[in-house]
Amino acid sequence: MAGSVEDPMIEVRDLTRRFGQTEAVSHLHFRIEKGDIVGFLGPNGAGKTTTLRMITGFLPPTEGDVVVGGLSSQEDGKAVRRQIGYLPENNPLYEDLRVREYLAFRAELKGVPRRLRARRIGEVLEACDALEVRDRIIGACSRGFRQRVGIADALLADPPVLILDEPTVGLDPAQIAQTRTLIKGLSADHTVLLSTHILPEVEAICSRALILHRGRLLFDGSVEGLRKGLSGGHLTCTVRAPRAEAEACLAEIPGVIRVRTVAESGGETRLELETDPASDVREAIVRACSLRGLTLLELAARQISLEEAFLSITTDEAAGEVEP
Amino acid sequence: MKGAWAIAKKELRSYFLAPLAYVVITAFLLLNGFFFYAILAVLSQPGASSTSPMSLLFGGTVFFWIFLIVTVPVITMRLGAEELKSGTVETLLTAPVTDLEVVLGKFLGALFLYVAAWLPTGLYVWAVSLYSEVDPGPVLGGYLGTVLVGLLFLSVGIFTTFVSKNQVVAAILAFALLLLLLLLSLISYIITDPFWKEVFSYMDLYAAMQGFSRGMVDSRPVLYCLSGAAFFLALAYQALQARRWR
Repeated sequence: MAGSVEDPMIEVRDLTRRFGQTEAVSHLHFRIEKGDIVGFLGPNGAGKTTTLRMITGFLPPTEGDVVVGGLSSQEDGKAVRRQIGYLPENNPLYEDLRVREYLAFRAELKGVPRRLRARRIGEVLEACDALEVRDRIIGACSRGFRQRVGIADALLADPPVLILDEPTVGLDPAQIAQTRTLIKGLSADHTVLLSTHILPEVEAICSRALILHRGRLLFDGSVEGLRKGLSGGHLTCTVRAPRAEAEACLAEIPGVIRVRTVAESGGETRLELETDPASDVREAIVRACSLRGLTLLELAARQISLEEAFLSITTDEAAGEVEP
Repeated sequence: MKGAWAIAKKELRSYFLAPLAYVVITAFLLLNGFFFYAILAVLSQPGASSTSPMSLLFGGTVFFWIFLIVTVPVITMRLGAEELKSGTVETLLTAPVTDLEVVLGKFLGALFLYVAAWLPTGLYVWAVSLYSEVDPGPVLGGYLGTVLVGLLFLSVGIFTTFVSKNQVVAAILAFALLLLLLLLSLISYIITDPFWKEVFSYMDLYAAMQGFSRGMVDSRPVLYCLSGAAFFLALAYQALQARRWR
């Protein structure tokens, strides 16, 4: 079966993986279109690495299948692996080889024709800004360079799909920015799936986000949608009243779920409200305050960061699991 | 099988980058050289038997086997265990190569080093040829047997190195299994039941090497070594596959 233009680049079907009794990944379904840069988010232990390992063919799934470019990873493992450039978690490398020796070995392993190898190694090292460590022994390279060597290896055979497991972990801020720019630049002719637990990273480079928690998919949509979907329902207001009075007043408004005092000074109380996203409670707040004779000094919708959105999604889910 | 070839070349390179190859070859040649000197010294004493020195070098004494069961685990212990421990097995297995190519590549890499360790002993043959006539049969037979036993022993080492993440454990396990293979050689002398005596005589590596080093190439030990090597490589392949389920 050849992949047509409409076919997704990666399709994950009912993917499940159990380790003994624990279900690390549970019935995942998602599609990644050609040219997408997708951020794979989740706290540690969410099943991100296990999922990526199943996509790259390192781990066989307990149930389900992964289709890459129209080929099943179960039936055509070798052909699927040929289409994927993979940077594993912690970026394992052979410490005793020189960078160019390592890449020459990888190029041969990946079937890059002999006459193209030297040129290709030069190209990927240049793309990753690592030409200067070409002759250095990998064990003597800094973390930043090792990471770049790992990414260079992923790019070596010019695969259509890149899978990067935490590509910026352990890098300094300058290197992180550099790596992000590099990955973003690759999106023109690659489909990229990268895992991370750093949200700004997803905001900076990805067009789509998948959130995984305890092996299940909690969110699948655009990064914009992720933020929008959660920014409703968060307000900040300042009231000229003591804390207890202000809290009492706001808490009884229908639609207000939670009231939290952030600061209290000079007779003013600053509060954060969590409200039902379906209803607009702003008018009710103004009325309730005037009814009690309190002066409302400020009322604003609060733009929450992806960090908070992420925490809210994953903790809601966790709380939901405890209750029957 | 292109992948296996790439892996074999990389392993050979790694052997010579890490000092392991030099240590193994140097120690092997020093000990084997001293051993060969001892053989010549004994044979040149008045009244010594007229045994060919080459047939004693290849399997004629217990030293040949001691060298092998020590050298082979040292050669193979790193190959799989280190990949498993450092995690590079993940990059290796997600490259477009099969598990079988990985096992065969490692095996071939180890075989290269094993042959490299034996090659300089060709000088012994040259040295002997300066003073006396050298019969080519026992020499060629001896080298053939050494390679065949090497195939069998190295495949055992390849199996154990894919079983454990720990190189020392892999080496000890290989050492124990190789010792067991040698002990199997003795069973045919203990057993009285004619059927089983016959069966175990096929596994008599000691007798096999004595045959080879007299220039007699029997097909039975050839088959035993080759099928044994295939068996342990299949086990290594299974061990690697099983790793994916943990």
